[in-house]
Amino acid sequence: MSANTSFLEVRGLTRRFGGLTAVNNVDLDLAEGEFLSIIGPNGAGKTTLFNLMTGHDDPDGGTVTFMGRDITRLSPERLAALGIARTFQHGRVFANLSVMDNVLVGAHVRFKAVRPAWPFPLNLLGPVAEVALALIRPPSVVAEEQRMREEALKILSRFGDRLLPRLDNPTYSLSYANRRRVEIGRALALGPKLLLLDEPTAGMNQTETAEMQALIGDLKKSGLTILLIEHKLDMVMQLSDRVVVMDNGTVIANGKPAEVRNDPAVIEAYLGHRRADRPEASVPEAAQ
Amino acid sequence: MSSWIDYTINGIIIGNIYALLAVGLALIFGVSRLINFAHGSVYVVGAYAGFVAVTQLGTPLPLTIVIVVAVGALLGLGIERFGLRPLQGYAHIAPLLATIGLSFVLDQLVQLTFSPDPRALPSELLERRFQVGSGTIGALDILIAAVGIGSAALLYYFLRFTRLGWAIRATAQDRDAAQQMGVDVNAVNRAVFAIASALGAVSGLLVGMYYNYIDPAMSFQATLKGVVAQVVGGVGNVPGAIAGSMLLGIVESYGIALFGTSYRNLFAFILLVLVLVLRPNGLFASRRQTPPEPMTGTFIAPSKPIQISYPVLIGIAVVMALLPLVLPNPYVLQTLTNAWLYGLLGLSLTLIAGTVGLISLGHAALLAIGGYASALLSLDLGMPVGASILLAGVIAAAIGTILVFPSFRLRGHYFSIATLAIGEIVSLVILNWESVTRGPIGVAGIPPLSIFGFELDTDRSIYWFALAVLVILAALQFRLLGSHLGRTLRAMRDDDIAARSYGIGLDRYKALAFSVGSFAAGVSGGITSHLYSYINHETFNSQLSILALTIVILGGMGNVTGAILGSVLLVGLPEVFRVAAEYRVLIYGLVLLLLVRFRPQGLLGTI
Amino acid sequence: MLAHRRLVLTAAALLALPFAPAGAQTAPAKGEPIYLGVSGPLTGPNAQYGAQWKQGFDLALDEINGAGGIKGRPLAYIFEDTQSDPRQSVAVAQKFVADKRIVAELGDFASPASMAASPIYQRAKLVQFGFTNSHPDFTKGGDYMWSNSVSQADEQPLSAAFAVKRLGMKRIAVLHLNTDWGRTSKDIFVKAAKEYGAEVVATEGYLPDEKDFRSTIVRVRDAKPDGIMLISYYSDAALIARQLQQAGLKLPTVAASSVYSPKLIELGGDAVEGLFTASRYFPDDPRPQVRNFVDKFKAKYGKEPDAFNAYAYDTMILMAQVMRESGIDRQAIHDGLAKVKDVPSVIFGKATFDPKTRRVSGAVSVDLVVKGGKFTIYQGGAVVH
Ligand SMILES: Nc1ncnc2c1ncn2[C@@H]1O[C@H](COP(=O)(O)OP(=O)(O)OP(=O)(O)O)[C@@H](O)[C@H]1O
Ligand SMILES: [Mg+2]
Repeated sequence: MSANTSFLEVRGLTRRFGGLTAVNNVDLDLAEGEFLSIIGPNGAGKTTLFNLMTGHDDPDGGTVTFMGRDITRLSPERLAALGIARTFQHGRVFANLSVMDNVLVGAHVRFKAVRPAWPFPLNLLGPVAEVALALIRPPSVVAEEQRMREEALKILSRFGDRLLPRLDNPTYSLSYANRRRVEIGRALALGPKLLLLDEPTAGMNQTETAEMQALIGDLKKSGLTILLIEHKLDMVMQLSDRVVVMDNGTVIANGKPAEVRNDPAVIEAYLGHRRADRPEASVPEAAQ
Repeated sequence: MSSWIDYTINGIIIGNIYALLAVGLALIFGVSRLINFAHGSVYVVGAYAGFVAVTQLGTPLPLTIVIVVAVGALLGLGIERFGLRPLQGYAHIAPLLATIGLSFVLDQLVQLTFSPDPRALPSELLERRFQVGSGTIGALDILIAAVGIGSAALLYYFLRFTRLGWAIRATAQDRDAAQQMGVDVNAVNRAVFAIASALGAVSGLLVGMYYNYIDPAMSFQATLKGVVAQVVGGVGNVPGAIAGSMLLGIVESYGIALFGTSYRNLFAFILLVLVLVLRPNGLFASRRQTPPEPMTGTFIAPSKPIQISYPVLIGIAVVMALLPLVLPNPYVLQTLTNAWLYGLLGLSLTLIAGTVGLISLGHAALLAIGGYASALLSLDLGMPVGASILLAGVIAAAIGTILVFPSFRLRGHYFSIATLAIGEIVSLVILNWESVTRGPIGVAGIPPLSIFGFELDTDRSIYWFALAVLVILAALQFRLLGSHLGRTLRAMRDDDIAARSYGIGLDRYKALAFSVGSFAAGVSGGITSHLYSYINHETFNSQLSILALTIVILGGMGNVTGAILGSVLLVGLPEVFRVAAEYRVLIYGLVLLLLVRFRPQGLLGTI
Repeated sequence: MLAHRRLVLTAAALLALPFAPAGAQTAPAKGEPIYLGVSGPLTGPNAQYGAQWKQGFDLALDEINGAGGIKGRPLAYIFEDTQSDPRQSVAVAQKFVADKRIVAELGDFASPASMAASPIYQRAKLVQFGFTNSHPDFTKGGDYMWSNSVSQADEQPLSAAFAVKRLGMKRIAVLHLNTDWGRTSKDIFVKAAKEYGAEVVATEGYLPDEKDFRSTIVRVRDAKPDGIMLISYYSDAALIARQLQQAGLKLPTVAASSVYSPKLIELGGDAVEGLFTASRYFPDDPRPQVRNFVDKFKAKYGKEPDAFNAYAYDTMILMAQVMRESGIDRQAIHDGLAKVKDVPSVIFGKATFDPKTRRVSGAVSVDLVVKGGKFTIYQGGAVVH
């Protein structure tokens, strides 16, 4: 495997909820520029793994290293500053903010007005400075805001005509699929080094899924490192450099899409499991 | 040593009384996620229903209890039907305001019917007393304990083993899921309000008999203590509420034992804040877990705010500035001056509660800090008045933010309750810290308003000063909200988890918003103290916190113009209703209820 | 009885409409009424006191207007509800100041509300007559702030003398309302008691809405007092007395004159039996002005008057006297207050202002004890030996 060029390195990660071990001693490596998909039946622990990697949940054991730096238990806001962006399985847009504002919040960590680069004792005045800059708005701040808006427009234009006509609409008024798009736009605005997508096409119809797949393919081409959780196997097989299969909190297979597809253990544990439990492949509820 | 036994017994006895209130509040919170501010009013109505039964009809105790239970249950059904059901689907805050309005109306109705005078509520049978320790316990103490524990046991059985109980628990855990599974959530709500209110009414009766004393003004204190007790025990947890009540009673009693009577509530509220910060789910709850991700995404009630363009706003400000020249009526000017000062308070809370989503129930404390700071700076240190007001804003921002900081990690109603407690703590510290604040005697002879040495000694000049400060701070708030910061703060309110994912440190931005907001409140308190020339710990009482919240909800959460409009209305309406004399607070409460009913997102809409 | 009570209140409410003169019933006095502004609580937590004021005022007005009013014109008042809240009392102050018909103002009830309005009355040169404001700084607000409230500097030494010299207490525990009034009273009482040679072994300040005193009583008991002093209103005094009884702490107890109300006995029951207090007057008092007040009050309202009824009654009588002597405009009343001498008073016997402090001193004091469910004059001597 590509352990020597490890961009993201997960070792022995474990998370228990009461008696249930949602993530059990998981190891994972990801090289820069790689596209890795995580698949597995409902309740396998995929989202929990994302939560552990992005600081939303604390592991009971194990480490996460990102670009040579131990990031275990760092807060989500620190991780965002390091260039890790994620989307959420059920969608978490800022409902009362406009489409444009949602995307601009994604760029939060890149605003200089947020964190003026002042030396030590003065940096304690950070919040005061931030308020002052927001009120006074010197030309540099205005220019920065303008720049970010243009960039946000560029990001939003990736979704064709889906979002551009609705720039000023609050996101609660958007369709479900459009909210998912806004979330991805927001993640891109962070200028991420690593992008984690949790079921970006859940609840989308075939056309919408195809569109999304094309977009993610473009992102991959641009060299972005991506971790994808997805139930739609066709999409996974077409996009991924490598696929990791989880079941009951553990990694049961790891390899090229073709290898994984034909791994009998995967067919047994993943597809068999699914067939036994639930015939529907895209039921979002967790199956315990 | 033997005294400690007495203190403990006394703590348990009073805890017993709190438990009666806390159980009902816990039940309602558990199912409806609502702090029912009308609960204390139900308690008052129960006490007076019992009073009528005992003194007019001469009913024996068991029959009295039956009557009171019936009255309470009916009242509960009424509150649910008219106050809360129509507001389903709106932001949490609308039902909260509805319960506040209901409590105004109920208290006033009782007061108008029975006069504000306290009444004796004798309990013939229950004068028997038993020696315990060096004091005595009465039959009524035992009855109260029996009712408290008995009703909790009954509730436990009901919740565990009946179909409706099962539905109630399911609804408490996940309202939407329960509804999907075919639970009639409305029926559950009705049942819960009926049961909780019946219990509340019986507690009014028993406590009234216990003290042989009832008056219509006892509702607020009852709500307050009940809320504290149930939060200490774990919000929505019925057995926890009883344990929390006992603990509260004992802590109060030990507080008196150690430091004296005037420290009693200080200890109660410090206990509350500690429990909230250290064990946010209550002392008796299991380990805190990350909330599961919402299935449907996160939404706060969507609303289309009414847009008022800047030229129009500027036009209104100009008209208001010219008003004293056209209409030199000092009464109107004074009322508007008050409205401007409360408008500052509204600006403060609409930023903190509306834009950031931190529903503060202790905002009057910021007025008090600002008021005392400016009064003492100018009086004791001889600072010029204008500068002292400015500094008072800064001091209120600093102290307020430091006090509230540990509570920032609390979510939703937990934060509200923490601020309620912090507000009470500030007021009690002011009362007890005599060397600085002069205790209950208060600060007299505060110098009049002046800027740059010019004394503002006409009604007009004071009006203009207050208006100017309001316009400046409102303009700054508009500018802030229009910047990246406004976006950041609102994002944090809409979804704090997603906000963190994008690098928004919650503590940092909550503190930042809280300081900015507190500044306006501190300035308002500072100006007020110079206007009044005398303040004491009662000048900025907790009723003002409720008023502040009402202003903000009425105007539309986060809406700067709305906060000012809300202030003008809520300060102005009681003046307009003066013609109604004793009935004016009743009318005010009814108008408030109608406004919440038909415009739950606020007059100008949530931003 | 309840329905009847409501009717009375409704009628009173109608009479308090801004343009409807109160007490302008079948008065022989004719012509344009003279108005006093009253700022006080009719709603909110202190509403009971505003209601008591009204009874006192109305009784006095019946008398004044029945006897020809002021120079033939009827006297009336406009009562504006402030809930004793400073925000509203300042607005009401402006309203009164602007209303040229109003020649003087009475109230407000609590110090924060009264004193917040003082600068406005002072600026407008309208007399603010704070007849329940015993806060030592109230009349320092300016030369238009006057008060005939019994100064605590007068009253508390009398209470101390009663407790120490007459009843023989040597170790006193003081329970006081932790308000500006209670606190001022306590300080003066403690000082006087010490001067008379007693020791104050405990002082406990409690908040006005407190109902549970059990633990406070344990603290008091542990200080081993031989007598208790209550600086309370009747409602809390009744609660404390009941809980003292329940705790089995049988000690002679003196209460400040503010507990003097039939309600004390109604609420306290047999627990207030034997309670000592003092009063400015008492029902069987032979003084003519007291006889007149008590009898007429009973006839009009069917119950015994209490302290707040008496303050309000006295105040209205006093204002009428000032206007008769000095004239019916704002300045005349201000000047007249300094000149008026020996106005018959329930509280003071005869009231005369000290023009420097703008207060009245020398309140009448009668030592009382509750006996057989009634206030009676205390005839006995020491109870602590
Ligand atoms: N906060 C929590 N508390 C308790 N259990 C949890 C929590 N979060 C997740 N779980 C449990 O952990 C297991 C893994 O859940 P997770 O959401 O990670 O699965 P998943 O692989 O993302 O499934 P899906 O495909 O349905 O999204 C499930 O059994 C789930 O019920
Ligand atoms: Mg998942």
